[in-house]
Amino acid sequence: MSTTEAAPAADSGVKSGSSLRGGIDVYKLLGASITFIAFLVVFLIYTIWLGGKFTSTDARALDIHQNTPVLLLGLAVLVTLIAGQFDLSVASMATLSAFLVVGLKLNQDWPFALVLIACFAVGVAGGALNGFLVVKLRVNTFIATLGTGGVFLGFSAVYSKGTQIVAGAGQAELPSWFSGANSLGSLGEKFPAVLVWIGLAAAAVMVFLTLRRMRPAATEPRRWDLISAAIVVVIAAILFVLGLSDWVNAISWTIGVLLIVALAVWLLLDYTTFGRYLRATGSNAQAATLAGVNPGKETFKAFVLGGVLAALAGIILGANQGTASPGAATSFLLPAFAAAFLSTVILSTGRFHVWGTLIGGTFLVWVSQGLIVGGVPFTWTEVVNGLVLILAVAFSSVFKRRMT
Amino acid sequence: MDATRGTTGSGPGRREVADGSPGIEPAKDIVIAGLRKSFGSNEVLVGIDLTIRGGDFVGLMGPNGAGKSTLIKILDGVYDRSSGEIQYGGEKVSKLGERPEVGFIHQDLGLVDELSISDNLRLGQEPMRRFGPFVDRGREREAAVRALNNIGLELPVETLIGALSPGEKTLVAIARVLERGARVIFVDEATSTLPPADSHRLIEALKRTAARGATVIMVSHKLSEILDATNRVVLLLDGKIVADSPAASLDRGALVEMLVTREKEEVESEDLTNARAAVEGKELLRLEQVKGGHIDGVDLTLKGGEVVGLTGLPGSGLHDLAHLAHGTMKARGGKVVRAAGVTSALVPPHRETQGGFLEQSTLENLTISSLSRWRAPWRLLRGGAERRDTNEMIERLNITPGDPGAVFGTLSGGNKQKVVFGRTLLCAPQVYVLCEPTRGVDVGTRMEIYKLIEELAAGGAGVLVVTSDSEDLFAVCNRIAVVVDGRLGAFLEAEETNPQELEAFI
Repeated sequence: MSTTEAAPAADSGVKSGSSLRGGIDVYKLLGASITFIAFLVVFLIYTIWLGGKFTSTDARALDIHQNTPVLLLGLAVLVTLIAGQFDLSVASMATLSAFLVVGLKLNQDWPFALVLIACFAVGVAGGALNGFLVVKLRVNTFIATLGTGGVFLGFSAVYSKGTQIVAGAGQAELPSWFSGANSLGSLGEKFPAVLVWIGLAAAAVMVFLTLRRMRPAATEPRRWDLISAAIVVVIAAILFVLGLSDWVNAISWTIGVLLIVALAVWLLLDYTTFGRYLRATGSNAQAATLAGVNPGKETFKAFVLGGVLAALAGIILGANQGTASPGAATSFLLPAFAAAFLSTVILSTGRFHVWGTLIGGTFLVWVSQGLIVGGVPFTWTEVVNGLVLILAVAFSSVFKRRMT
Repeated sequence: MDATRGTTGSGPGRREVADGSPGIEPAKDIVIAGLRKSFGSNEVLVGIDLTIRGGDFVGLMGPNGAGKSTLIKILDGVYDRSSGEIQYGGEKVSKLGERPEVGFIHQDLGLVDELSISDNLRLGQEPMRRFGPFVDRGREREAAVRALNNIGLELPVETLIGALSPGEKTLVAIARVLERGARVIFVDEATSTLPPADSHRLIEALKRTAARGATVIMVSHKLSEILDATNRVVLLLDGKIVADSPAASLDRGALVEMLVTREKEEVESEDLTNARAAVEGKELLRLEQVKGGHIDGVDLTLKGGEVVGLTGLPGSGLHDLAHLAHGTMKARGGKVVRAAGVTSALVPPHRETQGGFLEQSTLENLTISSLSRWRAPWRLLRGGAERRDTNEMIERLNITPGDPGAVFGTLSGGNKQKVVFGRTLLCAPQVYVLCEPTRGVDVGTRMEIYKLIEELAAGGAGVLVVTSDSEDLFAVCNRIAVVVDGRLGAFLEAEETNPQELEAFI
């Protein structure tokens, strides 16, 4: 080829970038949903194997209900992971908070509003301590949070003298709206279905708007709007067939609280300056500094938020159980991390996000519950959690490498 | 061979070594046929056919995002190809990397700063052993001296890599691949980050290696280097080879014509210069005896409508001065005075590590510094407005791919530079501190960036161009000064000096 031929080719080449060729990125779409689909396949196998025992809406809703503290801890872990930090102290904070919410009422008989304030204050203080150690003193994040985790757990043992705190005769009682039958902590007290329906409608609109933005250049806007709407309608129809109304009616107040908190954290992370700064910090702290972000400040805030969410997880745990036992939330750490890491491969390509954490954490508990329903001893749960965590993270690492 | 020879460094001695250096057995032919690569739906290479014969010295050119680096990385085995085939000596292979006779020099050289030149040369190879686990240091040292002589680098082999200049490091990296027996060397934009003297040495070393019979494939944006060193120029555009000619048949004009796809708007540029002159020169930023980092007492003023160029060698404190002016480095002494309400924005010097957020989108990378522009009540962001402004900026800077959701890490080097540049534009500050604004960008983009800088100044902003590329200085700057050992030399009017005169100050 000669140089004289090159010039016209160069002229026409400017605007014909391959990205403008259009078409939905099938590879990316598959990558984002393959883990999700894998889980669905597992559940399909469970359904064939166990039938109604597995597909019972009430039983699966109970799983989520009981798992709510884990999912809240997943959100706590998520916030710090986005900042590029590992907060290993969240489970201990939840245990401490569970002891405080039950103990300060039953043993000290504080006004319950004050008890709740105290729990959150401890969450803020614990998170601030982590933030101070990591940001100001530059202690390695694993060591710092492992250490503070030990301190929080230790405080809970000191406070309870190493025993369980249970309601006894002649003692103060937890408020009836908080714990016991037909309370916040019980499965029986349902969240107003109207609110859930409104939320679902909003979600449908969000999905539609997101799809609309993914319009391939080759398709004309009007046509793509119709396709997007059709996709949303089809998804909604499938969900209705699968028993969406039963699910809406099965949502307890505990799950409702979880959803509201998740909504708030989602808005915070994806639609505020704080969320952007946090993601920039976690991605490249030096570049963030030079772009005018203060990574230390954002990291500190993330630890505080993580502490608050962990304290809330402890409160919900206290509400669900009505008692507090030593190390109550200790075993929640692994599934919480698993849920947060699963979010990078569920409906996402390598990005930590809120809804993936909830879905991941829920799917995780269903995988082990299915085995339990099928007769495998519950002691296998931890093994399953560990394996799914490793598989998910390995998968996301392999996938990230292929994408870039 | 006399081991001390390498350290004496006299002219005749060097020639003697060059004559004595062994020839290299010509490499096998490399045949690339129908090579394609896409990242998701983004097709980066759309069918490359290229035959490289043993002994060729190929200059690979093309605008940013043309697919040069992707091609090299596929050959190295960093990426898998989507389709097509690669042959080496008639044999089908999946990659050329990881064989001793093919060496790749990337921008990240893979040298260990804490080890000596000699140890770095042996890295990844079996040590020369005396017996058992004992390393024969003497023999390794001799081999190192020989290797350095072969590429014309005269340094004691015990020197730690960390103490070398960037150009010397690159030379060591080349010596290392030769030492492993490389007969084919790929060099990916190795000179784009080097000061002129260092790139000159590097080009000399490559010419010398090619003269000994090796195949060299060099990616570069610098026309003079390509014309000076190579014997064959391959031009890549939008993932295709659009020209492949002997270097002897080309001159600078022809190359520029091939590379610059947009017509230069000379007239408009003249208007801009006039507009710049008309802007009232209000003082925006003043540095008084500022100390910090390597900088030891610098006075500097920057007025609106003015473009001030600063240059210097790596290690002179040049980039520290940029950080002091921008405020990302606190002054140890002296004063940085900003006029009331004056803000600044920075293009950081090391794009690779400080530029952006690799796994985040173009949009997030562009808007991170100016998020308050789209702030709504409750600290939420007005996503629609942000997206609109982002699309405008993508169009203005001609960033490809034009999708605001594209992952920053998958953009080409020049497009990353444009995104980082766009980030400062969105801040709309009065003072711009631009470090190496044209590093690694193609000729066309370079012109666009110069025009943009002139527009900024015409709009009343003050621009500090901190660069090791003298072309930047003479293209856009009013005044130029050289940083030497943490101090600023006298300012020269850009119109009254020339690159040769300037180099004398460096």
